[in-house]
Amino acid sequence: MRAAIEAAKGGYNVAVVTKVYPVRSHSVAAQGGINAALKETDSPEAHMFDTVKGSDYLGDQDAIEIMCKEAPADILELEKMGAIFSRDKSGGIAQRPFGGADYPRTCYLADRTGHGILHVMYEQLLKYGVYLYDEWHVVKLVVKDNTARGIIAVEYEAGKLHRLHSKATIIATGGYGRLYKTTTNALSSTGDGMALALDAGAELMDMEFVQFHPTVLKRTGILMTEGARGEGAYLLNAKGERFMSKYAPKVLELASRDVVSRAEQTELEEGRGIDGCVLLDLRHLGEKKINERLSQIRELAVNFAGVDPVKDPVPVKPGAHYSMGGIKTDNDGATRIKGLFAAGECACVSVHGANRLGGNSLLETIVFGRRAGKKAMDFSKGSPLSDFPVDSLMDAAHEVANIVKRENGEAQYIIRDELNAVMEENCGVFRNKERLARCLDKIRELKQRHNGVSLSDKGELFNNELLSVLELGQMLTVSETIVLGALNREESRGSHYRTDFPARNDKDWLKHTVIYREGGELKIRYRDVKITKFKPEERKY
Amino acid sequence: MKIKFRIRRCSPISKEACDPYAQVFNVEAEEGMTVLEALLKISDEQDPTLAFRKSCRSAICGSCAMNINGFSRLACNTQVIPEYKKMGDMLIEPLSNHRPLKDLVVDFTPFWRKIEKVTPFLTPTKKTSEATVTAEAEAAIDRSQRCIMCGCCNAMCNSLEIDEHFIAPAALAKAWRLVGDVREGHQAKRLEKLSEEHGMWDCVRCVHCTEYCPKGVMPLKQIEMLRSGALKAGILDNPGAKHVEAMADSVKKIGRLDEAAMTFRTLGFLRSLGMIPFGLTMERHGKMPLPHIFPQIEEIEEVRKIYEEFEKALKKKKG
Repeated sequence: MRAAIEAAKGGYNVAVVTKVYPVRSHSVAAQGGINAALKETDSPEAHMFDTVKGSDYLGDQDAIEIMCKEAPADILELEKMGAIFSRDKSGGIAQRPFGGADYPRTCYLADRTGHGILHVMYEQLLKYGVYLYDEWHVVKLVVKDNTARGIIAVEYEAGKLHRLHSKATIIATGGYGRLYKTTTNALSSTGDGMALALDAGAELMDMEFVQFHPTVLKRTGILMTEGARGEGAYLLNAKGERFMSKYAPKVLELASRDVVSRAEQTELEEGRGIDGCVLLDLRHLGEKKINERLSQIRELAVNFAGVDPVKDPVPVKPGAHYSMGGIKTDNDGATRIKGLFAAGECACVSVHGANRLGGNSLLETIVFGRRAGKKAMDFSKGSPLSDFPVDSLMDAAHEVANIVKRENGEAQYIIRDELNAVMEENCGVFRNKERLARCLDKIRELKQRHNGVSLSDKGELFNNELLSVLELGQMLTVSETIVLGALNREESRGSHYRTDFPARNDKDWLKHTVIYREGGELKIRYRDVKITKFKPEERKY
Repeated sequence: MKIKFRIRRCSPISKEACDPYAQVFNVEAEEGMTVLEALLKISDEQDPTLAFRKSCRSAICGSCAMNINGFSRLACNTQVIPEYKKMGDMLIEPLSNHRPLKDLVVDFTPFWRKIEKVTPFLTPTKKTSEATVTAEAEAAIDRSQRCIMCGCCNAMCNSLEIDEHFIAPAALAKAWRLVGDVREGHQAKRLEKLSEEHGMWDCVRCVHCTEYCPKGVMPLKQIEMLRSGALKAGILDNPGAKHVEAMADSVKKIGRLDEAAMTFRTLGFLRSLGMIPFGLTMERHGKMPLPHIFPQIEEIEEVRKIYEEFEKALKKKKG
């Protein structure tokens, strides 16, 4: 949406195609905040260092520098558009501490920061007259001669296929948390854009890096913001110990997410959990502070876990949260396909490297969304509208019709559940060669089976089931790249932890995994990390 | 525990019409299960044709509003077992005041059009854009900022039920989000537009919007802020504002509401004539007991004292 606004402001004819209405998109659920070095006592360099260190030195430092330097102006611009962040006593923007950051630099709107920003983005879409094609599901990115020509999408309400012909296409489809059983992500976070881009000939980068958020509710995977720990909440094990003192003696609960998730998983596997969870304790913050700063967290804990954090500690565990990897882009969102751009979680610039810091994802969407919008506009200015291959719409129609026509096949949810289980078990916080190999075999088996699924719903309008089958195909494609990347990377870095290779290995693995498709096969190549200011050193919190 | 879900479904005939029917599903409910999880389970295991909207499943995206046991709620934050214990078998219906397209999916287009009507983005002037947002300024619009546009309020709105053109609570909460923002530059213009027919004065203050909002937005409170903002800004030449003035004057004068006189003041002479058939219908149903004359109450002096005290306090506050 940020990209669309930028291009629409420039006077271009822009449409947003989305499978949910814009205010429903998953950025709405981002709770904690957005980072920017606003204060004089802070600096973009300090923000940059924290991000580089947090990324376990896999983030590209030129991209990180751009993000941290441009952050303050973008925050102020968001306020100009109409956003309001929570205030400090002098009427300035308040900032709270976040994990992995050496300075309290996270701006927030209570615990609804993403919601606040997303609604303002929506307002701006209306202001600039951006066309909305909502509840449309994209089935194909149309690329010919390495140039993007537009998209083909199903209009959910009418059950019709449409083509949208454009000079430039920007993918901003978010993450794929739904590959896992326990995830903080929305039901719509199925990695569609990544799979579409790969199929269209773009490259995916660093897919093995999946962030597991340390504090999600057990049964539902609903997120308890890092802001809770930012405000001072403790993590306790079954014995009531603040176990983070063993793993990150200096910053305790505010170590970066991969460190905290691994600590929790270790506690759990060594038998110091309660019913598969550790405890997030907010009680000492007091009711007033909880209501003021973390009211939604209280609501969620009460409604979804039956626990009032004012009175009792909340059982939490790690859950799939964020994709550091994604569609490989340059610092302006451009992919290797002309006219095809990507921004946000679905993209990999890479600013998060092997582990993202809290408060940097909303920031990435705003900074690189804006840059991608600008670049797409510049690209459109200089190039003619290339033709839309006529047969692509027919091909897509046949593919969809084939799914609808099939009879007596398996139901899609069985395959989806098996995928969730196998990913959770074998490609989670702790990984090893044997588990990953098993996981890859299983995914390939599921892909075969997916080709045989059939629908009970043959109707055209609002066919939920058809949508699920299309999403599942995209999920399987994405899973394969994650496991392949993880299997090949024989070291531990950031969120990717191999029990059979527990150390970071800069000599062999300080490089990005790049996956692409050639002749139907997935291929891997590696690319050097851009290191400018900070030489890799051991990462300790 | 097996729980019965009775779902009011609708099979689409075309984009404009669908054929309603009811269907019962039995769901094995576990502790903590939400209505949304139950629907997902039904669509996986029993009937994949069941259509409903969903996304975040944590009460922030606003997709899954529907009628649960007669009231509009979010399916994702309504737990099945406590609800069952309170209400018995579950009755799931599409959101009221919205046309079903298929099963629990309703046409949301009118909802978005209403939001668009209130110019839902900040329009600052050069001067106001520099205003400092203090913590108090933020607090003034905090509730209206919590809206997730789920439509629960509009679904329960009595005014919307009788007038589909009514702007309705969700858009009005959004309007206050902007009018109440210290950086906004066109408050008066916005309030004037909101004072038009089908606008904010058409709300009958039944409090349903506030009662059924799952996020504590309190739309009625925002409507009241808008209304008093309009009165303060001197936007008085409309039936809504006149009605308020007439009400205040009537109480001051006779200590009670003189409904007949208020009609004249609110609507003016000619339009009041148009109300005669309505009055006769009321009469026929015994809603207008004779005589139609409202005498002054005995304790009128005490009422006037209240007014005096109020005006004194107001002056002191201004002075």
